[in-house]
Amino acid sequence: MDIVPQLIANSIIAGSIYTILALGFNLIFSTAKFIDMGYGVLTAVCGYGVFFLSSKLGFSLAFSIPVALLVSGLVSFSAYKLIYRPLRARKASGAILLIASLGVLFFLQAILAIIFTSQFQGLSSILTSNQTLELWGGTMTELQVITTGIALVLSLIVLIFLKGSRFGKAIIAISDDEEVSKIIGIDTDNLIGIVFFIGGIIGGLGGILIGLDTGIEPTMGLPWFLSAASAAIIGGIGNVYAGIAGAFFLAFVENFGIWKVAGEWRLTIVFVVLLVFLTWRPQGMFPR
Amino acid sequence: MEYLIHLGVLVSIYAILALSLNLVMGYTGIISLTHAAFFGFGAYTTAILSTRTNLNFFVTVLVGMLLTSVLSLLIGRVLSKFRGDFVALGSVAFNVIVWSILINGGDFTRGPLGIPGIPRPEIFGFSFSSNSSFLILAIACLLLVFFAARFIERSSFGRVLKAIREDEEALQVFGYRVVHYKLAVFVIGACMAAVAGSLYASYITFVDPSTFTVTESIFMISIIILGGLASNKGAVIGAVVLTLLPEALRFVGFPADIAAQTRQAVYGLMLILLMLYRPQGFVGEYKL
Repeated sequence: MDIVPQLIANSIIAGSIYTILALGFNLIFSTAKFIDMGYGVLTAVCGYGVFFLSSKLGFSLAFSIPVALLVSGLVSFSAYKLIYRPLRARKASGAILLIASLGVLFFLQAILAIIFTSQFQGLSSILTSNQTLELWGGTMTELQVITTGIALVLSLIVLIFLKGSRFGKAIIAISDDEEVSKIIGIDTDNLIGIVFFIGGIIGGLGGILIGLDTGIEPTMGLPWFLSAASAAIIGGIGNVYAGIAGAFFLAFVENFGIWKVAGEWRLTIVFVVLLVFLTWRPQGMFPR
Repeated sequence: MEYLIHLGVLVSIYAILALSLNLVMGYTGIISLTHAAFFGFGAYTTAILSTRTNLNFFVTVLVGMLLTSVLSLLIGRVLSKFRGDFVALGSVAFNVIVWSILINGGDFTRGPLGIPGIPRPEIFGFSFSSNSSFLILAIACLLLVFFAARFIERSSFGRVLKAIREDEEALQVFGYRVVHYKLAVFVIGACMAAVAGSLYASYITFVDPSTFTVTESIFMISIIILGGLASNKGAVIGAVVLTLLPEALRFVGFPADIAAQTRQAVYGLMLILLMLYRPQGFVGEYKL
């Protein structure tokens, strides 16, 4: 069997997950203007939400997924209301916000580990069908095809929403200049809160898809956050569309990289790409 | 008594780490999440050299410092190109890369198995094999590092560092080569962390990569933020409090696994609360 089609398939799957996670990260970063390390832990929060509702309490997936997404959004929203908003209100530096978000990451992942133990949990047993599809010589499971579809649809929704709705335009205005947006009457405070809520849902969605595909553990947040942030930076941080390009670029480099090197160097490859971009092209792949 | 001595050694090692990170983060204002990498580099140098050759411990410390200074010079050189909070993100990447090298190093680092059987230090026929004699050695190192840090802080070099923290651009206007100062303090801090690593390796007589993760770097940051940035006294106080805290949790009667998680949750909560209510820590001078 030729390995290249499979590598392409794997890259598309990884790229889709990165796209989803980078979307949420970019939305939060472009409005709140700090590196929110706590964003990653929402993948675990939502993954465990689905795990708890469906495996422990026996609810159907159609019920547990929306509930878990809502929980993840609310966790993100309350982190903003309780922690980031007061800090931003007193003009705290990005460093303070970053360290506070590290605190959020640590706290939530420890709480998850206390409740659910730190063991790795597979969510895939919940899925009833697990058909695989052949695509030009590469194999993808049904779920992975769905993941790719979700990534595309979600990107489109966010795109249309940012361009087309008043709300989206207000978000773009905030990311350009928060002070001016305030002056012209945009309720920046509430809007950023909503962005955190949406970001939480998007991050949680990524977590569910990761969980269904491979599995969840309380410490999954940081590595996934780092990959998502890398994808966003490679594309061009704060730019939602470029994040998609960055996500797929990173996924391809990573998957072809581990083919040439070895699987255990996966994260190293991601970070070398990240460092290369931060050093020579901090503005990302596209000129601005 | 033996237990108290054990705690004393751990506190001394972490105090050295805190003092060295404080030079970088507290006095100069570089948020470095890669300090555990230097800690680990020193530990592995001592571990590898003293199990495979019969070099004296104190020679391995010097070799460790030398190698770590080369490594930190490289890392610092790259980090110095990043702007703002991306330094923090880039430093996480470096910590993960160094950790990957330790865990994937094959026979050289023995991967996740770690290196057992590291001998205790010996000098002029006297062996620090008992814990109480090791405590004296650890405290001696701590005092050395403490006074070195105090000397640096009070020298003209230290005043430049503090000025960099307050206003980097103004200092550049005055003709200071800011990058050189930052690199210098980064390398000095890394060397001190390497000493702590050598002590740790030889005290525990075993090293494995799990001790040198990003989590450990975050733990070090918690220490100096709790104690207070830009205060040597604060760094030591922070190390005492946070090293003894998990032991206290064990005494209250938490089972070992839950205690470890509770400790993480407490650190997370502590970081959040400190950022919200007391960003300068117990006795710090600087608020990020």
